[in-house]
Amino acid sequence: MNLWQQAMRAAGAILALYTLLCCVALAVADPSGEAKMEQFFDQDDHTNNWAVLVCTSRFWFNYRHISNTLSMYRTVKRMGIPDSHIILMLADDVACNPRNSYPAAVYDHPRKATDLYGDNVEVDYRGYEVTVENFIRLLTGRVSVDTPRSKRLLTDDKSNVFIYMTGHGGEDFLKFQDSEEINSYDIADAFQQMWEKKRYKEILFVIDTCQANTMFSKFYSPNILSIGSSRKGENSYSYFHDYDLGVSVIDRFTYYNLEFFESVDMSSKRTMADLVGAYNTTLIYSHPGVRTDLYSRKLNETYLTDFFGAVQNIELTTEAFPIGQPESP
Amino acid sequence: MPLPAKLRVFFKRRNEPKTVISVHSERIVVLVSILLVLLLGLPLWWSTTRVYRAELPTEDIAKFKHIDPLHIPFVFYIDTNMSITVDSINKIEKSAGLLIDKQRALYAPNEWSVRYQASVCQGAAPKIPGHYTLTIHEASDALVSVDIAVGRTATVSVPKTTAIEPVLAQLISTMVAKEEQEARRRRPGSHKSSGKAAWKHSDRALKYSAEYAVTFTLLNEDPVDGVSVDWDIEQAVSQYIQPFVDALRPLTKLTITSQVLHHAGSPPIKPQRANNYTYLSSDMLTHFVNSPSWNLASTDPISPMLNFILYVPSLESQPMHIIQGDAHKQLRTNAFLVSQWGGITIANLPKDTIPGSHIVFSQAQMQEYMGAFIAQLREHIGIRRDVPLACKSTPLIKNIRVRQATATGISDWELDALLRQWLVDNRETAITTLQSLTRLVDSMQNMVVMDEIKTKVDQSLFELGAIEGALNAFNPSNAPVTDHLKACQNAAMASTLAESAFFDPSMVSMLYFPDQHKYAIYLPFFLPVALPLLTAIKRVLKARKEVARNSKDAKKTKDE
Repeated sequence: MNLWQQAMRAAGAILALYTLLCCVALAVADPSGEAKMEQFFDQDDHTNNWAVLVCTSRFWFNYRHISNTLSMYRTVKRMGIPDSHIILMLADDVACNPRNSYPAAVYDHPRKATDLYGDNVEVDYRGYEVTVENFIRLLTGRVSVDTPRSKRLLTDDKSNVFIYMTGHGGEDFLKFQDSEEINSYDIADAFQQMWEKKRYKEILFVIDTCQANTMFSKFYSPNILSIGSSRKGENSYSYFHDYDLGVSVIDRFTYYNLEFFESVDMSSKRTMADLVGAYNTTLIYSHPGVRTDLYSRKLNETYLTDFFGAVQNIELTTEAFPIGQPESP
Repeated sequence: MPLPAKLRVFFKRRNEPKTVISVHSERIVVLVSILLVLLLGLPLWWSTTRVYRAELPTEDIAKFKHIDPLHIPFVFYIDTNMSITVDSINKIEKSAGLLIDKQRALYAPNEWSVRYQASVCQGAAPKIPGHYTLTIHEASDALVSVDIAVGRTATVSVPKTTAIEPVLAQLISTMVAKEEQEARRRRPGSHKSSGKAAWKHSDRALKYSAEYAVTFTLLNEDPVDGVSVDWDIEQAVSQYIQPFVDALRPLTKLTITSQVLHHAGSPPIKPQRANNYTYLSSDMLTHFVNSPSWNLASTDPISPMLNFILYVPSLESQPMHIIQGDAHKQLRTNAFLVSQWGGITIANLPKDTIPGSHIVFSQAQMQEYMGAFIAQLREHIGIRRDVPLACKSTPLIKNIRVRQATATGISDWELDALLRQWLVDNRETAITTLQSLTRLVDSMQNMVVMDEIKTKVDQSLFELGAIEGALNAFNPSNAPVTDHLKACQNAAMASTLAESAFFDPSMVSMLYFPDQHKYAIYLPFFLPVALPLLTAIKRVLKARKEVARNSKDAKKTKDE
C-alpha cells in the first residue's frame, strides 16, 4: 500500500471514531424527559405578572431593536404591569446617542407620533450591564447581594412571566452586545432552574430575531409558551425606515404584534389564540412559530391579560379587627 | 584552524553514517521519552483542569422522604380542683388520639406528611408555645361551654351531670385535627382551589420571610379643590401596630415606614355615582391601584413589601363607598385587600368639610382605620381567624367562645398556629431546596462548588435535625417540654440557609459545555503531537518485525 492509501485509511479510522464519540456524547447530553414534570392543570390562579424585556444589540444601526423593546415596554405598562414588576434591559442608549437628531426621543414609526422614551421610563439594566451572565443571574435569582430591588426578578410560584428578547440571532444562539452569545441550551437550563425553585407559574417567551424559532426548541420545563418570529434558515426583517434618523425604526414581527395590541386594553377578554391567529406571513415576511407542547392550557383559553395585564385579586375586608378596644368580659 | 580535540570527536560522532542499530536505538529513546512525558503530564493536566468542588452531604439530604412524618406534639395540662385521676387523664389522651387519627385525610403522593399529636397531663403549663392549660370548673347552668382566652389557656365549664373525659377528648381532638387540616391545606405548593369562584385570599398568604417591609401611605386624591391632609401616624403606629410587631418579633421582623402623598391624582377607575354618594363595586376594585403615579417603592432589596393605603377621595366623590354583592349593600369598613400587595381603606371626611382646609387625622380617629389595616395585615401574614376553634359548637360542647386579642392584634393561640404553619412550610422548603441543590450540582459536573456552600448546607442540615430535638424534648422527670417556637426558628434558619446556598452568586458557571467543545479545544494540541508519535511507534514495530524475519531467514539459510 502506498502512502496515500495509508493516509486515507488513517483518516477514515479517525473520522469513524470521532463520529462514534459524538453520537455517544449527544445521546448522553440529550435532556432525558426525566420524570413527568408535574403540570398545573387547575384553574388559572396566578397572583402577579412580571415582564422581562431584553434588547441585546448595541450601536446606532440597531436602533430598531431598542425601539422594539421600548414599544413592548409601553404596551406592557399600558396594560397595567407596574415598573416594579418590569425588568427592562437595553444594551445601548439610542435616545441620547450623539447621532440621534431627535435627542431624548425614540420612535417606532416615521410619523413620530409617540415618543417611546418619554419621561416615565425606567431602564433597569443599561448599556454594558446587559450581558449573558447578568441575564442568566437575573432569571435564576443568583444576583450579587448588593443588587438593588429594581434589578431583581422577585417572582414566586404564582407569577406569570413574560420574557421578550430581540436582537441579532441565528440557529440556537442570540448575540449579546456584539461580543458574546447566549445559546438556547443556556436559556432552557435557566428556565429549568426557575422551575426547580418554583420561580414561575407560566412563562410566555417571545423572541424576535433571525431564526428565532430555534431558540425555544430546546426548552424542557413545563408551562412555557413560546412564540418566535421566524423559522430555522429564515431571517426576520425590519419594517419602517426613517429617513430623518437614517435607520430602520421597528421590526416587522414586533410591529404586527403591537398593531394587534392597539385593540387590547386592561379589561380585554381576547386570547392568545387571537394573537397567534392574527399573524400574517405575507406581511411579516417570515413564518412565526408557536410552541405549545410544554404549555398546559389551550391557547384559546389563555387570556392576553394573563401575561400582559396586572392581576389584582381582591377581597373585601368585611370586619375590622377590634384593636385597642377594651376586652369584653 | 583545526578544531579542538573534544569538539572533533563530537562532530566525528555526529557525522558518522547512521547504522540501522543506532537509528533504532535513537528512535526508542525518543519514543520512551515522549511516553514518559505523557505519563507524568496526564495526571498533572487532569489535576490542574479539575474544578474545585466541595463535597456535599448528599446521602444525608436524600434521607428526607415525603412519607416520614413530622410529629408535632401538643401538650394539654388539665388544671382543676375537681377530682380527676391519672387513669382519666390517660383515657382522655387515648380517645383524643383516636379521634385525631380518624379525622386525618389520606396523604397525596408528593405531600410531606405531618402528624399533630396531643398528650395530656395534669398541672400548670409552662409558658412555652405548645403547652396549653385547660381549666375545668363546674358549670352553673346545664350546658357545656368553653371560653378560650387570649393567653394559652381555656376555661371549660362542665355541669355536674356530664362526664369530663368525652368532652375534653372532643375538645382537644377538634382543636388539633382542625389545625392539622389547615396546615396541610395551606401549603405553598398545594392547589386545592377549584376555579376563581373558590379563590380565597386566606389560601394565598405571603410566604414566610425573616423580614417584611410594611408601608402606611396617606393618599390625597385632590388637594387643589379639596383639602390638604395629614395624620398622626407615629402615635397611631406605636399604639396599635407596635404591639403586633413586638408579638411577632421572635419569628419575623416587620419594619414599618409611612409617607403622605399629597396629590395622588384620580384612580384609573371612576367611581359610579348614586344619588348622594359614589361607589365602587368589586370588579371595579381590581383596577383601583394606580401604580405608575403612586410612588410606593421600597429601598429594601429583598423583603416582601406590604402597602397599606388610606385613601382620601376628592370632595366631589365623597362619600365614597364600596358596595358588596348585588344587593348594593355598603361595606361598613370601606376597606379591601389586594392579594400579595397590601390593602386600601377609603376615608370619607365629614359632610361639612370646607374645601381648602387642612385636615389632620388624629390617633383616635385612626383607630378604626388601623383596625382594618390590622385585619388585612393578619390575612397577609397568614394568621387564621377563630383559632383554635372555628366552630361555634361541637356535638358535646354547646357554646364556644374565642376571645380576640384587642391589645396586641394576635392571641397566643393564633401565634402558635402561625408558627406551627411556618414550621411545616419552612421545613418543606429547606428539604426541597437542598434536594434541588444536590440535583443541580450533580447535573453540572463542571460547576465550582465553594466551601461556603458546603458550610451552609451542613448548617441547614443541622438546623433540620434540631427541629426534631426541639419538638420531642423531654425533661428529667420524663414530661414533654416540646418547644414549638424553637422548632419554628430552627426551620426558618434551615430554610434561609438552604435558599442562600441555592441562590449563591457563585453557582452560575459554564452552563452549557458540550463534549464537542472539549474535542475542539484539545484536538489542535494533541493531534499534531500524537501523529508523529503513532507513526514512530508503527515504524519501530515494523523494524522489529523486519529484524525478526531477517534473523529467521538467516537461521533457515544457516540450517540448510
